[in-house]
Amino acid sequence: MSVTMLRRRASRPLVQELLAPGISWPQRSCRRASSTADAQPDAAARSPKAPLRREDRDFLDSALRVNQAGELAATLIYKAQTPLLIRAHPHLSSLMRHMYDQEAGHFSTFNALLAKHRVRPSALYPVWQLAATFLGWSTAMMGREAAMACTEAVETEIGEHYNGQVRQLLEMTREMEARGEGVSEEIRHLMDTVRRIRDEELEHLDHAVENDAKKANGHEILTSVIRGGCKTAIWISERV
Amino acid sequence: MPITRVCTPRLRLLTSVRYCPISRGRPYHSYEHESDPPPFNATEEAVLAAALRQVPEHGFTDASLSLGAREAGYLDITVNLFPRGSFDLVNYHLVTRRLALKKALDAQAAKDDGGSFKGQGVGTKVKFLTLERLMANRPIIHRWQEALAIMAQPSCISTSIAELARLSDEIWILAGDAGVDSSWYTKRASLSVIYSSTGENLAHCTAPKPEAMLMSGLLELFMTQDQSTDFADTQKFLDRRLEDVRIVGSGISNLKGYLDFTAHSFINVLRSKGVRI
Repeated sequence: MSVTMLRRRASRPLVQELLAPGISWPQRSCRRASSTADAQPDAAARSPKAPLRREDRDFLDSALRVNQAGELAATLIYKAQTPLLIRAHPHLSSLMRHMYDQEAGHFSTFNALLAKHRVRPSALYPVWQLAATFLGWSTAMMGREAAMACTEAVETEIGEHYNGQVRQLLEMTREMEARGEGVSEEIRHLMDTVRRIRDEELEHLDHAVENDAKKANGHEILTSVIRGGCKTAIWISERV
Repeated sequence: MPITRVCTPRLRLLTSVRYCPISRGRPYHSYEHESDPPPFNATEEAVLAAALRQVPEHGFTDASLSLGAREAGYLDITVNLFPRGSFDLVNYHLVTRRLALKKALDAQAAKDDGGSFKGQGVGTKVKFLTLERLMANRPIIHRWQEALAIMAQPSCISTSIAELARLSDEIWILAGDAGVDSSWYTKRASLSVIYSSTGENLAHCTAPKPEAMLMSGLLELFMTQDQSTDFADTQKFLDRRLEDVRIVGSGISNLKGYLDFTAHSFINVLRSKGVRI
């Protein structure tokens, strides 16, 4: 019985990830670490690693590009919001600082990954810069609640987007293992990075809701417009 | 009987040869997974390498290809592997010389053991690599105008331009450039333009194929006309073009920095006056 228990427990994280990637994060990091440690000698035995398939490379290419563009936009939104918000509400200063610092960290993470893996940045880079600054500034002009509603909408969309990527990465590694190829450390590392960043983005979402994002005037319209914009921007920067 | 014995394995090999067009751009460069299979398989490699050795004498022509096939031990009909004929030969030259740049850079870094080259900036390395690539045309420089003309043919232009883009991407990456903002595009575009540089040198050149000059490689074309020892004029020409781009590039970034600073100061002044923006 204990064996079946163990087996069930071992098979759980993968199933959970596929069905509901958002659930039960706290235990994951240690479980993850032990599983990579187990897989290490196995993967080393199978090296040299088979070349990545064309579609996997295309996916990684567009995933890194869209993530960089997204984090660029996020840093600029917070940067544009901060001065207006903390003048009216000085107590938000530390929260805005914290969120901006995290976004800046994400941005430099993806910048380094793009340069390392020879991925081109989005061709509409200057467009995203302008659009994000405008979005941050205009929502901050509308007041604290609207600014938080903007954060809420953006982070919801980004969280879903990262979840989709984690799902696809898991799918990819599972297929690799099914084909009997080792999963490289670089893919595992990317998956861990995307997971960590997603968790931090969702933490921002919580902060926004705590700060009365739902009380913004025309909350429904505002968030659905922003979420629609985010979706479009993601769709575009995956392609160009 | 001896003939069939000689030919059968070769012919069997030929049927397994698959002609593959140039792959698209190479997205997501992996360090742990094996890299792509080489761009040319063993047969293509053997034939094209032998054919390239014929180029100084016979030019970028079908004759070189069939001579190369014969030299590599294949039948003349092997040339059918290369439906684009002489352009496949040109393309082989372009691709292999591009891939050879990494070795050239490593060799240069190994040569000066003081590590002074490794410490050099991106600009120096870009210059070194561009020159290195130009000098790789040296053995066939008197035939290069033919190649330029072939590259400018309507059916080959897109491949030629894509290869030019891959070349400038390779040079920036090997030089260690890690910029991934909008300058990623301008850097690659300006290096491509330098490599196929336009401008005053058009007047000095008396090239037989004007469309070739326009499309692919004025700097290269300049080199084909260069009579100075060791292509000193070409080196000077390259230096001037790179310097121009550096000046324009730093001018643009200075202007951007200035406008950014001014806009921020302006907004901050308004905010300090109590304007709610």
